[in-house]
Amino acid sequence: MLSQLAYPEPIEGAIAKLESLLSRLSLSQDYPLSRRSIALLLLQKDPALWQQLQIQETEAEIKAAIADAESQLDEPLITAIAKARQQRAWAIEQTVLSESSQGKTPLAERLHQLTVNPWTGFPILLAILYYGIYKFVGEFGAGTMVDTIETFFETYINPVVNQTAAVILPWQPLQDLIANDYGIITLGIRYAVAIVLPVVATFFFMFSFLEDSGYLPRLSLMLDNLFKAIGLSGRAVIPIVLGLGCDTMATLVTRTLETTRERLIATFLLSLAIPCAAQWGVIVGLLAQKPAALLIWGGVIGAIFMITGYLSARMLPGNPASFYMEIPPLRFPKLQNILVKTYLRMKWYFLEILPLFIWASVIIWFGRLTGLFGWIIQGIEPIALGLGLPREAAPIFLYGFFRRDYGAAGLFDMQQEGIFTGNQLVVTAIVLTLFLPCIAQLQVMLKERGAKVTWAIVAFIFPFAFFVGYLVNGLLNVLGVVI
Amino acid sequence: MECHKCQNTCHSKPKRGVGWKWWSKSPQPSLLKTEPIPQVALVGMPNVGKSVLFNALTGTYVTVSNYPGTTVEVSRGQMTVGDRLFAVVDTPGMYSLLPITEEERVSRDLLLSESVDLVIHVVDAKNLGRMLPLTFQLIEAGLPVLLAVNMIDEAEHLGIQIHRDHLEMELGIPVVTMAAALNVGLRDLKYKVNDYVKSACLSGTY
Repeated sequence: MLSQLAYPEPIEGAIAKLESLLSRLSLSQDYPLSRRSIALLLLQKDPALWQQLQIQETEAEIKAAIADAESQLDEPLITAIAKARQQRAWAIEQTVLSESSQGKTPLAERLHQLTVNPWTGFPILLAILYYGIYKFVGEFGAGTMVDTIETFFETYINPVVNQTAAVILPWQPLQDLIANDYGIITLGIRYAVAIVLPVVATFFFMFSFLEDSGYLPRLSLMLDNLFKAIGLSGRAVIPIVLGLGCDTMATLVTRTLETTRERLIATFLLSLAIPCAAQWGVIVGLLAQKPAALLIWGGVIGAIFMITGYLSARMLPGNPASFYMEIPPLRFPKLQNILVKTYLRMKWYFLEILPLFIWASVIIWFGRLTGLFGWIIQGIEPIALGLGLPREAAPIFLYGFFRRDYGAAGLFDMQQEGIFTGNQLVVTAIVLTLFLPCIAQLQVMLKERGAKVTWAIVAFIFPFAFFVGYLVNGLLNVLGVVI
Repeated sequence: MECHKCQNTCHSKPKRGVGWKWWSKSPQPSLLKTEPIPQVALVGMPNVGKSVLFNALTGTYVTVSNYPGTTVEVSRGQMTVGDRLFAVVDTPGMYSLLPITEEERVSRDLLLSESVDLVIHVVDAKNLGRMLPLTFQLIEAGLPVLLAVNMIDEAEHLGIQIHRDHLEMELGIPVVTMAAALNVGLRDLKYKVNDYVKSACLSGTY
């Protein structure tokens, strides 16, 4: 090292003192940080390091040295240290950089302004939602693609599987395990491949495009004020938007939030009011023919997102998080990168859901065989009937617990059979969206937030989802709305 | 991600690579056996291209995107330079050695708990001044540091020129300028890593 960075005199004095105090401690020889570095971290009051070092006897002396340095400066130590570093950094930058007057390309700058300014930013957001989500994921993914693959399954695969099973397997229950109405291939794999996959693929494609373009941080910037109302900073836009793909993934990404409080609120909102791609994709696909139904569903979920967010921000102690985020340049995404990313996300997702879907089929088969399934459904039935739903709707909630997307696929399947009226469809969609996070998301929540928080969230969501469904159904009836 | 221009060494699977080398040249096999693989860690602020660099060096894929905070966990891979094998670690972004968010803590804990033979501090050439404070902290900590000034293509687009030799002199550590997404400067980086780790190991033993 040529020239060491020199801090203001009081700090250098304190560093020297701390270094000599540290030399008395039995720090192991291969501790990776130098004493100077440790001293500086102590001066910045690093709590984790303080614990790690076990400085019992010298603690008083160390604290005295820090207090001494503090008294000699008219700003906090942490600020003084940061300033000294930043000044040196600017100085070096001056000497090693040369800038020609070329400057920024005005187009990128203008685009940036357009996305960040609320007056132009919201219309841009709406355009993205309409074309990217409603048209591309909802109509193309959940509509055209799902229909095509479903038809293919119904006409070519299912009959063949059913016939083959009937010939090869001698025992009716064994045939049902593989084929017929609830078989592994005819139900589990069909749900995964025909219903969930096209929706998730189109969403991940969209999301990867937005991700690489640099649009999301600008969205964060624009939505910062709105998010502050619900106790989150604009930073939380990314986990929340990611949650629209897969809530499990998104819960993991709440790590990027600064405070425990923020992480808690985001985790809660993700498990309550953010449907995953398969869920909302299927729901948008189903409700698309009836714009009123789509509006009611979107309005209710949006309102619940804002209201529960606002209330939880009020109830949880702590300060609202400040917003600070790097804003990367706007780039035109490379098609190859988007495809690679979409492919890898889909692979990850598919490998995760496929075994679960197969297991769900097995469990349902076992449940039906032993009569256990019918028994549980009988338990849920009164709730379904209370919501004004047909009794056939009960299994959807059971599926939804295995996986959110499994429930959505079940809803799609039943709607094809024409079981629901418009009102019933809206109520089912709302309850299913709010309903419990799936097993994978629960696991991540337990890991990231701990058992107490997770079960508290679950204990709230379960009755709340049905309560809201009950309320919406009642309101629709009272107002005489028929969708 | 694929590396188009770099040598096929970075694609070869580690196990096969070592076996192949033993079979063809066997350069001091006993040494290779007993010595642990040197470890190289990629650190730096969020969204400077650590994961792109990781993918290019190791030939594996971790998710990359154009916003900060994509990497929340440590990823591990291996690369070969010449006939040497290195372990490469990709870390979540960190602003300083004093962690604020959980992802930053993950990165610091890695530096504290594992023996790292070389820290590659990846910085964005467009924001050099804002990124150097972390370089100072890494140097102060006594860690072996190499500075990788990334995204020079974008900086040049903005009319920014960086004088590498000057920077090297000011900091007293090796500096590489590169554009990892375009595979520019990767070979230079690998050579420097190879040199640096060799000499660092020597100075460590004597």
